[in-house]
Amino acid sequence: MFRITWVRHVFILAVLAAAQSLWAADAAQPVRPGEDVAVSTAESGKFGGRLSIALRSEPKTFNPVTLVDGSSREITGRLHADLLHINRASQQTEPALAKSWKVSKDGLTYTVALRHGIRFSDGVPFDADDVVFSFQVYLDEKVHSPQRDLLVVNDKPIVVKKLDQYTVAFQLAQPYAAAERLFDNIAILPKHLLAKAYEQGKIGESWNISAHPAEMAGLGPFRLKEYLPGQRVTLERNPYYWKTNKEKKRLPYLDEMTFLFVPSEDAQIIRFQSGDTDVISRISADNFALLERDQQSRGLHMVDLGPGLEFNFLFFNLNSVVPKSANTLAAKQQVFRQVAFRQAVSAAIDRDAIIKLVYRGRGTALVTQVTPANKLWRNDKIVLQKRSVDRAKDILRRANFTWKPDGTLLSPSGSPVEFTILSSASNAQRTQMATIIQQDLKDIGITVQVVPMEFRALLDRVFQSHDYEAAVLALGGGDVDPNPQMNVWVEDGSNHMWDLGETKPATPWEAEIDSLMKKQLSTLKVADRKKLYDRVQQLVADNLPLICLASPNILVGAKNKVGNFNPSILDPYVLWNSEELFIR
Amino acid sequence: MRFLLNRLIHAIFLLFGVSLLSFLLLSLAPGDYLSEMQLNPQISPETVAALRHQYNLDRPIPVRYSHWVAAAVKGDLGFSFAYNVPVTKLLSSRILNTLLLTIPATILAWIIAIAVGVISAAKQGRWEDQVASAGTTTLLITPDILIALVFLWVALRSGYFPVGGMVSVGFDELTATQKLRDITLHAAIPITILVLSIIPVLIRHVRATMIEALHSPFVRAARAHGIPRSRLLLRHVFPAAANPLVSLFGLSIANLLGVGLITEVVMSWPGMGPLLLESVQARDLYVVIGAILISAFVLQTGIFVSDLLLLACDPRIRKGAR
Repeated sequence: MFRITWVRHVFILAVLAAAQSLWAADAAQPVRPGEDVAVSTAESGKFGGRLSIALRSEPKTFNPVTLVDGSSREITGRLHADLLHINRASQQTEPALAKSWKVSKDGLTYTVALRHGIRFSDGVPFDADDVVFSFQVYLDEKVHSPQRDLLVVNDKPIVVKKLDQYTVAFQLAQPYAAAERLFDNIAILPKHLLAKAYEQGKIGESWNISAHPAEMAGLGPFRLKEYLPGQRVTLERNPYYWKTNKEKKRLPYLDEMTFLFVPSEDAQIIRFQSGDTDVISRISADNFALLERDQQSRGLHMVDLGPGLEFNFLFFNLNSVVPKSANTLAAKQQVFRQVAFRQAVSAAIDRDAIIKLVYRGRGTALVTQVTPANKLWRNDKIVLQKRSVDRAKDILRRANFTWKPDGTLLSPSGSPVEFTILSSASNAQRTQMATIIQQDLKDIGITVQVVPMEFRALLDRVFQSHDYEAAVLALGGGDVDPNPQMNVWVEDGSNHMWDLGETKPATPWEAEIDSLMKKQLSTLKVADRKKLYDRVQQLVADNLPLICLASPNILVGAKNKVGNFNPSILDPYVLWNSEELFIR
Repeated sequence: MRFLLNRLIHAIFLLFGVSLLSFLLLSLAPGDYLSEMQLNPQISPETVAALRHQYNLDRPIPVRYSHWVAAAVKGDLGFSFAYNVPVTKLLSSRILNTLLLTIPATILAWIIAIAVGVISAAKQGRWEDQVASAGTTTLLITPDILIALVFLWVALRSGYFPVGGMVSVGFDELTATQKLRDITLHAAIPITILVLSIIPVLIRHVRATMIEALHSPFVRAARAHGIPRSRLLLRHVFPAAANPLVSLFGLSIANLLGVGLITEVVMSWPGMGPLLLESVQARDLYVVIGAILISAFVLQTGIFVSDLLLLACDPRIRKGAR
């Protein structure tokens, strides 16, 4: 008897759970009185349907605390929300889970008012405890969250305090310019689901790829429905999402989003052409041209967004500590350290040829690290001069370089100038750039060898052993603000890659960059910061620690049936407004 | 029995050697799983160092290897750095998908190879033989990747077959019959590519061994006794020619695994290929070693099965094994 009753109870519960999950998946919850929803200003669309997109690799985790890879970020970005968010279209910060925020006069305290009455995707209400818990997790040194470094200002972690159920204060150790941008992409975690794992020291193991969707909840427009290893991730609408359209109907429009795992770019193009996927991004100029040709017949909408934030650059090894095995490096560094030499190299490089040959015309030549896409921070007074072999030779002549009768360039000490450029073997475009530079520098008598190398081996040489002469790499892509690149420009920064591990600037101009970057970090007035960062750009353009080369255009596309397709030059280029996307 | 025991000991040593070599090669190469993180200006060197310590990447290679071997003996192939899950869990679902391609491909390839090889040998020098020879030569000189790309192009242009993946996007909404049809359609092109990449060698071996057997004195004697040609071929010549072909069976699996990895990547088939490629690029050490070990194990199993078949069909080996 007991057994029959028990079985019946389980059966009823299972049926109820299934019915609840089916209902929840299908129907968005109506907006309740007192619920502080945000209203989308985008075109009102049609509810329902599924959007498919291909990812180059599988997500490694669904845990926003530990993720480091792009695919995980692309998916978890749809599952979670942040307090303040950088609008990818306007590039400005806007409220997300925070309804508003206030900055104290001294710039040290951010008081954030949270939205009332909103819920996680499992229906549990969200409040200040979730915010405090989330930041406690991110800031815990034992968790090793890569996000932690963003939240440490002047070596002191941000202090987070709950003021009431819907108000949180963030205390900074020193004034930090554009601190509100730090909150972008810091996903707010559900305390009710993760507190136990955190207390047990197992937060890093939570929400990995083998976790069941029922164990997860977030505040993003979607929630996890299914993960099939090697095949796809399916997300379904979050019925409690906190944003509505203009008609006060709860977003997202789509019922489902499917991420297919397609390991190569060419295969992604074929899947897009065949209709398996609806949107595409991160494609080369060649493939873009192919799709653009077919866009009428296949009903596609291909968009060239112009340059992004990525900047490719050539740099020389100026490290003071180099391996003993690199016998000739120390002598060559005498040449590399001369600003005139780097200026001559820069003058001899044909950036237009790089744009034409590497990016098929879909790229922009660069003079500094700030690309034309960054309208807010670019110093427009710095103009890129056309390639000139004569100018390059003139600079070298004035710096006491000479030439042998066969045209070989000789350093002031009389030795032939030759060096090796390392490039990533897996990045054909950067290797092409290095080859073009090789040809260009031949015109001024410099012999260059190009060595394509496995990417991690290359990074090991640059960051660990310092056993290299020159290399081509790329940075950028995150945010328009200069702060995320502090580590590139300050002397003791971890990405100060031409001269790593120094605490004291080696030259006056490096000392000036160091001081300007630190000053702009604590300057709160945007106009004053701009002046400081303009000077940094001028110093970079004059002294060329990184010889900036080119920035590729952001090339994306979607089927015509995708509504509200509004791609941005900021990552994620096409899915940043996934709640507003709809199928016509 | 001694023969089988010898083979088993040989297999264990081979697997140990494969694991040691892969571990050394992957660990000694400059850079590691965390190297790429250094390029992110927003992640501090302290965080990278802490993660390196957490993953034991800062410990000496012999220590790491001995720990890994001790765990591997108990069936634990380690943890994936990237996925933060056990390697066995990560690989298990992919192996099934890989086998879903390789088993039908092996069966199909052998059926076609035996049929074409026998006909080719029986009609030696005639047009049937010449067509088979031209076909196998063409397939031999065509790179596997090119075969894959041609089929992909055909699938895209014709629209009859899916251009990648294992199932369609709306797979969950299909009925059981539709699901079976969907998987079969998705598997058709990868299996065809695999079959085409291994049959030329198989056909040539079948043909050569059949011709050799056809010229044996016992066949001439059988012909003189008036045994019909078809019976002679299938009942007498083929069993006599089977011996070298059985040995080839194990090696054909190795070939199939190699081509399978490329095919899976090109066709986005969710097998071991894409995972192995990604793990090699990401230096996800234990996943790579796990995948290599499993491939070596499958190869060894193939060789072991062919040894068993040899033992069953060749009395000389049975006698020697005792």
